[in-house]
This record gives sequence, structure tokens and C-alpha cells, in this order.
Amino acid sequence: MEYILHILILIGIYIILSISLNLIAGYTGLLSIAHAAFYGIGAYVAALMALNLHSPFLVNIVCAIILSGLLGAMVGIPSLRIRDDYFVIATFAFQVISFSILNNWVSFTGGPMGLPGIPQPTIFGLTISSHLGFLLLIGFFCALIFWLSHRIVQSPFGRVLKAIREDEVFAQAAGKNVAAFKVLVFVIGAGMAAIAGVMYVYYISFIDPSSFTVMESIFIISVVIVGGAGSLWGPVIGAVVLVVLPELLRFIGLPSFVAANVRQILYGGLLVAFMMWRPHGFLGKYAFQSGEARE
Amino acid sequence: MSSELLEVQKLEKSFDGIRALAGFSCSLRQGEILGLIGPNGAGKTTLLNVISGFLTPESGKAMFQGMNLLGVPSHKIAKTGITRTFQNLRLVRQLSVLDNVLLSFRDQLGERLGNVFFRWKTSKEQEAANQEEALLLLDEAGLFEKANDPAENLSYGQQKLLSLVCCLAAKGDLLLLDEPVAGIAPEMIENILGIIRDLPIKGKSVILIEHNLDAVMQVCDRVIFMDAGAKVSEGSPEEVRNDPKVIEAYLD
Amino acid sequence: MAQFITNILITASSIVLVGLGFSLIYRTTKFFDLAYAFLFMAGPYFVLLLNSHLGFVLHLAVFLSVIIVGLIGVLLDTLIYRPLRRRNASALVLLLSSLGVYVILQNVISLVFGDENISIRFGKIEQGINILGAKITSIQILLIGLSVAAIVTTSMLIRYTRIGLAIRAVSSSPELANVSGMQSERVIFWATFMSSIIVGIAGILVAIDVNMNPTMGMNALMVGIVVVLVGGMGSIPGVVLGALFLGSAQHLGVWVIGSQWQDAIAFVILLAFLLIKPEGFMGKKIRKATA
Repeated sequence: MEYILHILILIGIYIILSISLNLIAGYTGLLSIAHAAFYGIGAYVAALMALNLHSPFLVNIVCAIILSGLLGAMVGIPSLRIRDDYFVIATFAFQVISFSILNNWVSFTGGPMGLPGIPQPTIFGLTISSHLGFLLLIGFFCALIFWLSHRIVQSPFGRVLKAIREDEVFAQAAGKNVAAFKVLVFVIGAGMAAIAGVMYVYYISFIDPSSFTVMESIFIISVVIVGGAGSLWGPVIGAVVLVVLPELLRFIGLPSFVAANVRQILYGGLLVAFMMWRPHGFLGKYAFQSGEARE
Repeated sequence: MSSELLEVQKLEKSFDGIRALAGFSCSLRQGEILGLIGPNGAGKTTLLNVISGFLTPESGKAMFQGMNLLGVPSHKIAKTGITRTFQNLRLVRQLSVLDNVLLSFRDQLGERLGNVFFRWKTSKEQEAANQEEALLLLDEAGLFEKANDPAENLSYGQQKLLSLVCCLAAKGDLLLLDEPVAGIAPEMIENILGIIRDLPIKGKSVILIEHNLDAVMQVCDRVIFMDAGAKVSEGSPEEVRNDPKVIEAYLD
Repeated sequence: MAQFITNILITASSIVLVGLGFSLIYRTTKFFDLAYAFLFMAGPYFVLLLNSHLGFVLHLAVFLSVIIVGLIGVLLDTLIYRPLRRRNASALVLLLSSLGVYVILQNVISLVFGDENISIRFGKIEQGINILGAKITSIQILLIGLSVAAIVTTSMLIRYTRIGLAIRAVSSSPELANVSGMQSERVIFWATFMSSIIVGIAGILVAIDVNMNPTMGMNALMVGIVVVLVGGMGSIPGVVLGALFLGSAQHLGVWVIGSQWQDAIAFVILLAFLLIKPEGFMGKKIRKATA
């Protein structure tokens, strides 16, 4: 039972991560391999504040969102000047630099050893300590973020995002400040990812940089792609499939030291397979074909 | 104080050593339809790009309603009342016809994130009003039945018509149309030209680029013939057509 | 000082090889093939397999491994990228699929060989000889020598042979090159094979000189991308200058702030170039499209 709750909590975290990346990559067409950095910054801000300032959960999560949002703005700015595949490389660079800082600035972040002993979150006097409690908390944030993305996507703001994805010159000529929209969607996506990071760090009570690597970013992209980029429920489906599938490996007797690699092979394979045969994923509308022809 | 709607003086723009605009000047009065003709590479689209803010010239002046255009970001220029279409027909193909038109409306409350969350009802009301107006525009253009189809499902001619309707939705004072009737069937050409012809009545002004000289003759008040970035001839459609310099350039 | 310069030359040599190879495939295929990182890393593991596990003589193992890497490069292109190209896949789709390929292949290596750093040695550990006050090992001399050879060979190939001309044609205008039917695919085939060979050699030499682990490819690839961006896509002298620049920057950086920041330095330089001079020396290729 605890195990099922654990899986559900993980699914919840990845739902938040994939919904947020979907806004950036699926709806606005800005593919980014930096999402684990936003996830990680959110987690570390909360962890450092909880451990050093003993500040309450709600304060920590707000700060995590703000700081991650700022990082999001920084990552978004290059998208204004460079073409999508070069931009992906730029996000890759951001990701690695972020990881490098988390891993090497040992005096501040604890380096590869990480930071243990993050206290349990207390909200309005209620301390969350059980798996069920965490599940409810994450469930709440999932629902909130789903609702937020739903509202955004349905609005004229969301319409502009989709227009930018297909033909940003057209959007610009229609009077839309494309640059502002792009940076804004990165800020939103990063802020949401930070929430997932905060959830993660309080749940595990421990944090280290290895959870926030390039591989993690690639995993989140796979979730978005498999579920279907540019759709509302796609990220949810993708999270369920990609969290559950590797867990099924356990039941066929795969030894645990092999499991991590096999899991990665699995989602690498899904990524290739979907790109080759169903780039718009299960539910998606967007197949990462840019409006501009390949130059 | 100039009474011209648009004034452009001595524009210079070069690409890799090729002078796309060679000291080009022209002006446009309110309610005029100006045709720009000339061979490929004459600088016509470059001129449109400069006016709409997608390119910055090396030197020269461009003023719209007394306001400087150069160095202003293209989306800001669009907001001040200049709308345009593109030679290679830009639209949001995956969105519906209706959504493309709705996208083109200016000053939408729902495009600001704050309003999406804190003034949702008011935004929705404005959106509903815009939608009514959009459907009206589509109806007048004959695209009503296609309103919910993805734009990519339209024929080429219908897509060109749609991009014109988008310009109308923007309610701009100046429309820059880049080859609005190129490559489409005669009935659609008539349809589009009819819409363009009526624009001055609604107080709008037009600069259009076309290779279809028939269309230019029918619709334009004034024509400029451009070649190699410069103005070769200017006048009424008949005057320009009969200008020996123009004839010579076409025979070249 | 002499040691500093020597170290820069050694680093720059491996960077040049990776950059040359990457430039070759990027110019022809027009997308960022992240599986290239695997090709860099795989060579030494094949050497290990052939030599330690299957008993091949080391030199033969190295030779065979280079060929194998070349073949893998071509195989990946044939199986995955070529079908996608035929469907007019965007550079982004190709990049994503190459990402998936990399993830799969890197993890296969991890599964079979483990994640630890491994060293391959030609016999006992070499002290290195002394040249002009700097210490340098024979492998390092080989590295520098081979990179110079690669530079010269590639330049001559591009400039004077038919395949070189074809590469330049495809690189500047794929549509035009495609007018001659199968030609651009053939060019891509050979360019892929050549670049895979080059990067295979680079990976093996670096592994012997330092050590190897399954994740070393990604950083090598990124460095290759930096160099090509900085130096200019179609310019071999550019790649050389870029490699020297990057090698110097990395060693300087390591000296000032420590070796754990080596990768970050390369990536900061990458970002700087993307942001400040995104066109590198190639003009509009990278900029966003205008009307």
C-alpha cells in the first residue's frame, strides 16, 4: 500500500513537471532541456531555507517559485534571438551550468553529498508526515497546476502561445510582443517546476544534485512527448505511463542495480520510437515540426 | 505639418552588398490605394518590411501619422495601425480560421496574464464580442462555413482571403498587402479585389505589391514602378503603364 | 609556461578532432546529432572489449574499434535519421531522436561495463619525455600529430576532391544538391562515416591519455559544438582557432577556479557566443527568420 502511494506521489511530481514543460515546449514550441534545472533550483531553495532559516513551508515554496521563475526568464531570453535547435543547445548549456553549480559549490549546496534532514512540511499548523498526507498535498498542487494550465491554454494568451509556435512572425505582425510572451511562459513553467521540486525535497527529506541532471531533463521531455505535446491531458498520461512502466520491470525480477539503466533505455527508446512513428504522442497536437522549413 | 498618412524618404538598405533600397522615397495620402510593381528583387517586399518594422534601413526616414517608424519593434508598429500580409502567406495553420481572425484583434484583455486570472469574466465578455465581430467579417468574406476548420484545410486562395480578413480584424489604418492575389483563381481574385477596393470607403489606406498588372490597374489610385531599389516611375496606373522607362524595364 | 602551452595543445588537439568531425556531419545533415557523443565514448569501450575480453592485440583492437565506430555512425544514420529525413522531419525532431538514441546507447555501455572510470594502458605507465621544458607522453604526441594530420587531410579533401566539393554543395544548398537525386544521401553517408572515424580516434586517444567512463561523450560533444560555433561552421581554420581558444580558456579557468568547473567553463563560453554573436561567422543561419 505504501508502495502504491509512493508511485502515486511520483506520478504527481511528474505531472507537475510535464504540464509545466508542456506549456513551454508543447504549446509555445520552445523545446528546452533545462527543465530539471528549474526543478532542482526549486528543490534546493526550499531545502536551504528550511535547513538554514527554518522558515515555514509556505514561505519556502513561494521563494522557490520566485527564484526559479527568475532562472526561467534567463533561459527564455536566448529564445528571442536564436533558432529552435540552437536554442535547445543553449538550454542544454544552462542545464549543465546549473548542475555544475549545485554539484561543485560545496560550501553552499553540500555538493555531491547533498543535504540531509529536511524537516517535514507544516501548513497552517498541520504537519505532513505520512505518505497519504503527501499524496493529498501533491494532489492539491497537481489539480491547481492543471487548472492554471487549462485556464492559460483556453485564453487569448494561450492562443498567442500557439500562434508563436506555428508562426511567430505572423504573431508579431499581429501586434503581439512575442518576446514578452516567450519569457513569460518560461517564468510560468519554471515556477511550476519549482513546486514539483519543493514537493520532492520535502517528501524525500534529502536532496542531492543527481536528481537534477541532463538525464532528468530528457526524461521530462520524454514524458511530454509520449503523452502528447500541446494537449492538456497529454502530460498526465505521459507521467502515468513513464512512471509506471519502469516500475513494472521490478515485477519481472530485474535486479535493482540494473533497473536505473534499463529504465533510461526504456524512455530513450520511447523517445526514438515516438519521434519516428508518432511525434505528436498519444494525445498531442504538436509534432515539433517548426513553421520554418529546415534550412 | 505633413498631411500624408505615410512618408518615406531616402531609404537605404543593403544585403550582402546588394542595394535592396537605393534612396527610395514615396508618400501615401489617407484613403489611397498605392500599387507597387516591378521585377523580382526590386525591393518591394523590402520596403514593406521596413515600414512594418521587420527590417531597419541603414539610413532614411519613415513616418506614419507623423510618428517615426524606424527602430520601432514590429509589434508596436502593428499596434499603431499598420497591418500586413506576407508574400509567403503566413497564418497559424493549425488553429481554426476563426482563431486566426480572433488572434488578429488588438487590445485583447485576455492576452494579459493578469487578466486571465483576475479579470476572467471581463476578458470572456470581450472575447465573445470579438467572436461575433470575427464571424461577421468571415461571413462578409464568404468564409463563414469554414470558421471552425483548421486554417491549413483551406485552399490557397481561401487562405489569402483569410489573411486579408485578419488585417481587417486588426482595424488598422494602413494595410500592406504583399501579392494578395498571386497564384489564385479568378473568382477569388475578384472577391479579394472587391474587398480591397472598398477599403478607402472605410477610411483605410493600402499599399499593395502585385505582379498581376490587371489587378493593379483595377484597384489602385496610384502606382509606383520600382527597379533595383529605386523609383523608376510614378503616377496613375495608365501613366505608369505607358511610361517608356517601364516598358523598357519589362522588356529587359 | 612551456607545460601550460603543451597542455593547451594537447587539449586543443582532441577538441579539434571532435570539432572537425562534428562540423562534417552538421554541415551535411543540418541538425545537432547528439548521438555523436556516444561515438566519441564508444571507441575505447570497443578497444576494451576486443583487447581485454577477446584477446586481440591492442593495436589491432584500436584499428578495429575505429572502424566499428565508423560503421555504427553510418548505421544510426541509415536506420534512424535517413527515414526521418525522408519524411521531412525538422531539425528539432532529428535532435530529439538523436537524444533518445544517445540515452539508449550510453546506458547499454553502462550496463555492460559499469559507470566507473576505467584506464587503458599500453603496458606500464609512461613518465613522458621532456621537450623544451615540458613533459609530454607518446600518446599525447600521437594525439597532437593525428589532429594535425586530420586537419590537413580534411582540408585537402574538402578543397580538392569530388567528395569534398559534394560536401560543400550539400552544405550550402541541400535542395540544389538534391536535384542530382541520390547524391545528397551519398554525401551524408560518406561525411557520416568520415566524421565517425575521426571522433572514434579522438575518443580512443583521450581515453588512453586520461581515462574513460560512459558519460564522457556528452561533454566532448558540447565542446565540439562550441568550437564549431565559435570558429564558424564551414571553416576549418576556424575550428582550429576555436579549439586553441577553448583549450586555453579551459586551462586558464581550471588554473584559476579549479578543475571541477571545466565543463561549466565550456558551456559558459557556448552561451556567451550564442547570446552575443549567435551568427558566429555564418550570418543568418542561426538568427530567427524575418518576414
